[in-house]
Amino acid sequence: MRKKRCIAMLLAGGQGSRLGILTRSMAKPAVPYGGKYRIIDFPLSNCANSGIDVVGVLTQYQPLELNAYIGSGAPWDLDLSNGGVFVLPPYMRGKGGEWYRGTANAIYQNIGFIQQFDPDYVLILSGDHIYRMDYNAMLRFHIENEADATIAELEVPWEETHRFGILNTDETGRIVEFDEKPKHARSNKASMGVYIFTWDKLHEYLVADEADKDSSNDFGKNIMPKMLADGQRLFAYPFSGYWKDVGTIDSLLEANLDLLQTPMPIDLYDKRWRIYSRNPGLPPHYIAPGAWVQNALVTEGCEVFGQVRHSVLFAGVTVEQGVSVENSVVMPRVHIGRGTSVTRAIIAEDAVIGPGCQIGAAEGGIAVVGQGSRLAAGTVVQPGEQYENS
Amino acid sequence: MATKDLMGLIYTGENDARLRELTLTRAVAALPVVGRYRIIDFLMSNLTNAGARNVGVITQRNYHSLMDHLGSGKEWDLHGKHDGLFILPPFLTRDNVGVYGGMLDALRSNIGYLRRSRQEYVLLTDSHVVYNIDYLEMLRQHVDSGADITLLYHDAKPRLQQGVHEYRVYFDTNADGLITALEIDPVQPSFPNESLSAMIIRRELLVSIVAQTAAQGHHSFVRDVLQRSVNDQTLRVMGYRSPVRGWHIDSVQSYYRFNMDTLQADVRQELFDPRRPVYTKVRDDIAARYGDSATVSNSLVADGGRIEGTVENSIIFRGVYVAAGAIVRNSIVMQDAQVHEDAEIDNCILDKQAVIKRGGRLIGPATYPIVISKNVTI
Repeated sequence: MRKKRCIAMLLAGGQGSRLGILTRSMAKPAVPYGGKYRIIDFPLSNCANSGIDVVGVLTQYQPLELNAYIGSGAPWDLDLSNGGVFVLPPYMRGKGGEWYRGTANAIYQNIGFIQQFDPDYVLILSGDHIYRMDYNAMLRFHIENEADATIAELEVPWEETHRFGILNTDETGRIVEFDEKPKHARSNKASMGVYIFTWDKLHEYLVADEADKDSSNDFGKNIMPKMLADGQRLFAYPFSGYWKDVGTIDSLLEANLDLLQTPMPIDLYDKRWRIYSRNPGLPPHYIAPGAWVQNALVTEGCEVFGQVRHSVLFAGVTVEQGVSVENSVVMPRVHIGRGTSVTRAIIAEDAVIGPGCQIGAAEGGIAVVGQGSRLAAGTVVQPGEQYENS
Repeated sequence: MATKDLMGLIYTGENDARLRELTLTRAVAALPVVGRYRIIDFLMSNLTNAGARNVGVITQRNYHSLMDHLGSGKEWDLHGKHDGLFILPPFLTRDNVGVYGGMLDALRSNIGYLRRSRQEYVLLTDSHVVYNIDYLEMLRQHVDSGADITLLYHDAKPRLQQGVHEYRVYFDTNADGLITALEIDPVQPSFPNESLSAMIIRRELLVSIVAQTAAQGHHSFVRDVLQRSVNDQTLRVMGYRSPVRGWHIDSVQSYYRFNMDTLQADVRQELFDPRRPVYTKVRDDIAARYGDSATVSNSLVADGGRIEGTVENSIIFRGVYVAAGAIVRNSIVMQDAQVHEDAEIDNCILDKQAVIKRGGRLIGPATYPIVISKNVTI
């Protein structure tokens, strides 16, 4: 392998347990988003657009869907002979092998992979967030500051600081304190879980961390505080722009419906920064006479005969006559039969619904229908209920 | 039948005068259709879906956009180490003036490619046709019937316009499917079977026919090979009746009609049969976005568009903008075209990046759609 200045390691093992039945059979990074994408398309496209052409994707939980989706990496122009995308599951070794124990351990177990490229810098990403970011600009910042580690930060509302790792910095942007989920935060600058390390330094700390029996082998809990305590140069790279953790049912629905605002809070039209995805290869969607589609995102292969308002339809969805879909997300290939109403709901892939079902309501929690479920005529799914039968 | 026995050869140099402005800057094969495709996507996908791994595309004029579209052939899995996609542009040699006089002439120039190919059979076709078919069924009949050449056909449709040249081929068959008479470009067709311009032939036979007829100074494959062979009964030329609908795209009217036909559910089911997907170059657009005031009916809409006005009975390509108060009826709006506030179009074809400014009004007659050329602002 030829030397690379910077390579990316993408942590895609997240179970996403707060997404309930939506992540029962797939890892969180594989969860569909925005009509055409899966969450992992965002960090992968950011890498491709930033000119980072080696991406190791660390998988562990339910990797099947993710592996198939990534394939050769061609949709992101990452099918290269000198570099590309590599799926890195945990593997057995002479002494036994083991699962990834924490984010730092996952990288530790792949030191051999990283060293093949002899990189100067390593970018650590997670596959859980929706955002557009130029990692190359962050790398320049890291180099200019002669930093050992740089953490991307963004300002969050003060009332939410207790959910994040908070960074306290001096006037030069150097991190002086790291506050993991503080009760009383002194700053509202939160870590986005995007790190750039000078590789030699990270290597040293990974080895030391692995030797520490008391460590939970986590970047946020162990590596960063240890580096800070040792007086290493840690900098916060300010990011402003749309960033969303789609970790819960509520935030997943909200992040999808965000795309219906005017102007769109995340610019997905930018031709210089396209978000790539694996294309299902379906014809344009068809809107029938008598259908109503307003304030909605609709994509390839859909056939709409009913009403769709303030919702996102993924590829290959059929909405029959007399159906009403409102404030909802309908994932690929779902069939919604005549007279069914879908309100404030998320319907997972390949579900077949109706006719005459009632999914969710305008008030109360979000209703969820699991992947591949078959709902007989007249089934009612209450607000907040998670229904599956496949 | 091993699928690796079939190769494809697509001739894209046909006469395109009746497509007017639409083919000013592109070959017929590169004409945008059904919201996100080019005509050649259907032929390429038919070949790929039949397992063909070696496809030659003979280009003639205006082939820049075609080459740009086909790229390395990756979208059709035609980028293997052996075989793959071969673009065959005209070239000058001592006995080759660089411009093909017809398909036969083009085959003669590329006889080296044909000789080097390893497949036993060639699917040879013009590029101005659209259908989604299983070529392996056709190949099976070809082999079983012992034909020298098998020609794909369907029932002739009523003509869209009388008194104009349609360079089409009609023929009669006997009970065994053998073609007994064949006519080219008749004023009034005498036979109900219309050729869909695709034929299967053994590669070695094709090579020897091309070598022989070229020596005699012939140019036209249909006239000098097919028609002669039928008349003289020197070759067994059989017909294969297409199990699906097909369209010739050789005039503005037939282009418009084909696109409008895809608004019918049964046409889409046939053309986009999930067993045989249609592949095309991917653009990575966001999903189409409908505004609060959108009113859309009986239309196909591709990704990347923003629809805020009224759209009826229309085909909307990728990245199209229809502003609030705008009306688009019975029209084809190609990639990245825009219809601004309170503008109205009816029976129009807007080529790529065409813009109808605020309040503009263009109403074409149903029988003769208005074509607005690429990049034109009105």
